[in-house]
Amino acid sequence: MKRSSTLPITLGELARIQPLAGAEPHLADPSRPVEQVVLAETFDRLRRCTPHGLVVLHNEAATGGWSLAAALHLAWERNLSAVVVARSVAGGSSVALAERLHMSLIVIDDDPIDVALQLAGQVSAPAAARALRQARLAELLAEQTGIRGVLGVLNRELQQVPVALVVGGVVIAGQSAALTERPQVRLIEVEVQAPGERSAARLIAAVPSTGPASPSVSATASVSLEQVESLLRLARPSLQAAWAQSRLDTATRAAHEQAAFDLLRRLPSAPSPADVEAPPWTSELGWQVGEANRAVWLAPLRPSGEPPPEITYLIRASWQRGHSTWPLVAEGDGWISWHSGADPADVTSLRRALAGFRDSAVAHRLVIGVGRAHAGVAGLMRSVAEARLAAHVAREDGPGAVQWFDQVGANAALAWLPTTEIAQVADLTLEELMAAKDRAALVQTVLAVLDSGGSLSQASQQLGVHRNTVLARLARARQLGLTYDEPGQRLALHVLSYALTALWSNNELT
Amino acid sequence: MTSVSGYVGASSSITAEDVPALYEGAKFYSPAVGDSNKTSINSWLAGLLDRNGPVPLLRVESLPPETPCVSVCVIGSGSAMSDLPPAGDEFELAVRQIERLQQITFGAIYPLAAATISALVAVVTAAQLRVPLLDADGMGRAFALIHHTAMHLSGVSPTPLAAVGPTGESVLIEVPAGPRADRMLRANVDTVGGWAALAAYPTTAGVLRRAALPGTMSRIANVGRLLLDRTDPDRLVTRLGAITGCRRLARGRIAELEHLSRPSDVTIPAHPSSLVVDEVGGLGRQLRIELRSEIVAVFADGALIAGAPDLMCLLDVSRGTLATLDSLEPGDLIDVLVTPADAVWYSPAGIEMVGMGSHGIPLVHPRRR
Repeated sequence: MKRSSTLPITLGELARIQPLAGAEPHLADPSRPVEQVVLAETFDRLRRCTPHGLVVLHNEAATGGWSLAAALHLAWERNLSAVVVARSVAGGSSVALAERLHMSLIVIDDDPIDVALQLAGQVSAPAAARALRQARLAELLAEQTGIRGVLGVLNRELQQVPVALVVGGVVIAGQSAALTERPQVRLIEVEVQAPGERSAARLIAAVPSTGPASPSVSATASVSLEQVESLLRLARPSLQAAWAQSRLDTATRAAHEQAAFDLLRRLPSAPSPADVEAPPWTSELGWQVGEANRAVWLAPLRPSGEPPPEITYLIRASWQRGHSTWPLVAEGDGWISWHSGADPADVTSLRRALAGFRDSAVAHRLVIGVGRAHAGVAGLMRSVAEARLAAHVAREDGPGAVQWFDQVGANAALAWLPTTEIAQVADLTLEELMAAKDRAALVQTVLAVLDSGGSLSQASQQLGVHRNTVLARLARARQLGLTYDEPGQRLALHVLSYALTALWSNNELT
Repeated sequence: MTSVSGYVGASSSITAEDVPALYEGAKFYSPAVGDSNKTSINSWLAGLLDRNGPVPLLRVESLPPETPCVSVCVIGSGSAMSDLPPAGDEFELAVRQIERLQQITFGAIYPLAAATISALVAVVTAAQLRVPLLDADGMGRAFALIHHTAMHLSGVSPTPLAAVGPTGESVLIEVPAGPRADRMLRANVDTVGGWAALAAYPTTAGVLRRAALPGTMSRIANVGRLLLDRTDPDRLVTRLGAITGCRRLARGRIAELEHLSRPSDVTIPAHPSSLVVDEVGGLGRQLRIELRSEIVAVFADGALIAGAPDLMCLLDVSRGTLATLDSLEPGDLIDVLVTPADAVWYSPAGIEMVGMGSHGIPLVHPRRR
């Protein structure tokens, strides 16, 4: 464990712990060190104060009206850090004067003597006071159940230091100001390993540093750097817990994402779809819609209506393993996800993800279609349509198959054929053929011949049988009603053969 | 004497025409006093001066040193005085009581304070007794207690003193130590009607030459003439400065009136309160004006810039008149004026008696830093 700092405690730190935590602070500069606490009963005592002290007014020095004004002025003259005074004495004009003099004024409800004694203890043992502050913060953090709540506590605690939770460059919660590049700001990062995540999230705090200043100032700055880091570490368990909690609450999340995606889908219908920007709420969900959006459609091999939420949960669990920011939206009979990046050609992470997902895809009997990369929200929607098409094509190749839209082309049309219904047509019109035991071989052969434009040699090569076998099969097929060479019936029979082959090959695989 | 615009100098007599100026001037030196008695006291005095003729106003040095003199003033509450107006003979009676006690006849009257209504009743008394009025007083402004006088600092006893109430009852007090007199007197003032006509500090002109503050009556007459001659506030402040040495501390708008019941000093009866003024122009300072029975201190951004025994008063900029403390409201634009008191009040003994310490403000006076 790091040795805790014994540098003078700052006003901001003191104001965070009792007894000042319950007080009304008007802090001009929370980073001012407090080196001493003075309980001032008279103005004489005030005049003898040394700089960087905190003075608690009491008795004659706190009779109200003029006395606080005069005390504030003296504190300003003596370069004190703060003036603490009972509420009965402090009026609105005193606060105004304190602001004018850039002097911190803290209004307390408790007995000034008690407060002064407690403060003196804290100032003499800054490490203990800091520990107290951390303990208090830990309590606050423990009360939080959501990621936003945790970030809210951190941002409140570290007032001038914006904190954000970031995954892969996307702000999940907190203040995005933490990420903006500014001069004289030091970024502090703490990794947060979320359960089941491969790439860790990071808590980032932007701590303003005072730049090339006197050694004493930079010393105070380093204290706060150290402290900020320890506070961020303190937030880590709460954040992990909140994260896990949010993961468990998938039903809500799924509904949330579905609704959001619907909204997103409607956006491109705006007058000039090219200009549509991703609305800010998408980033709240961790979504990214950027330069190059490549959609992925996860679809069951055999669609059977909307999948139950349990399946969605399982799919989400395996798909998002290591890619928590990739969305997963249940859509119709499948799920949509997408990957956003700056380079449309960069598919390495997607390929890696698909490879990692393969086992799950086989297990859940899914096929996967991948769209092309397009820019913006409208582009994303286009890519989604492409991915869906590709997924239909992928069904030909059985569970776990991945089809990229770039490689599909017009063949995609075939994927839309209602093979089951066409097979039923075959049952009715080609009774004899359907009754035959070798029907699969016959239909496959006819399909191969038609596919190769009537070339027997090509067909035999494709099927891996002798040319004569092909001839024999064709003759038998013609006998059973598959009159493929009649021009009027060729298209119908070609389609039929295709449908039956696709169906039977799937059944075999099943 | 007629009131010639721009006249500055010592007067030799007071006529009915000087009464309004005297009243305004007296108000300048006691800004806490309201206007409730203005009409009645002015017409009373003007009538007296019309009937009895002008009252001679003499420098102390112009009288033989052995001339017995006595001061008069009003003690008690101004609102009690408007409820129970003077019958007219209270001041005369008070002087006569001391004459009877000391077996002398006073040759001149002087005001205990050439400020507030006390300045006018001194003229009343002189007119009634047909004796001259001294162009001198004991305070040069108004202070709260009857021993807050230059005579007391010079070792002149305020007693024997006589206080006559509007009921006709009177109290005669003799004490060896001056400060005790005020305490005994106040215990009786309520009983005799809430206010009383006071005759005190019987002494001689010779003693007053060193013990009283000279020229204060003609000063209030001159100040009063300037105030009556309505002019723009900037010019008024300049003219007042020429006569009184006053200067403007700041011009500002009243932001807040704090009526606090704060722990108050026991020696001076008053309810401490504060006036917060945001300076207009200049440095934009926040002024805090501390009120007791008068303005006792002015802070700018918490730094003391003026305090008792300085005389501080507020000028209503929009009306070009003095603002009395009971007429202030947030939003009023005011000039804060400070006038140095007579030098005797800045002596250690003077500061101790009437300085800010006596009002519970333990700070060093800006003039003594």
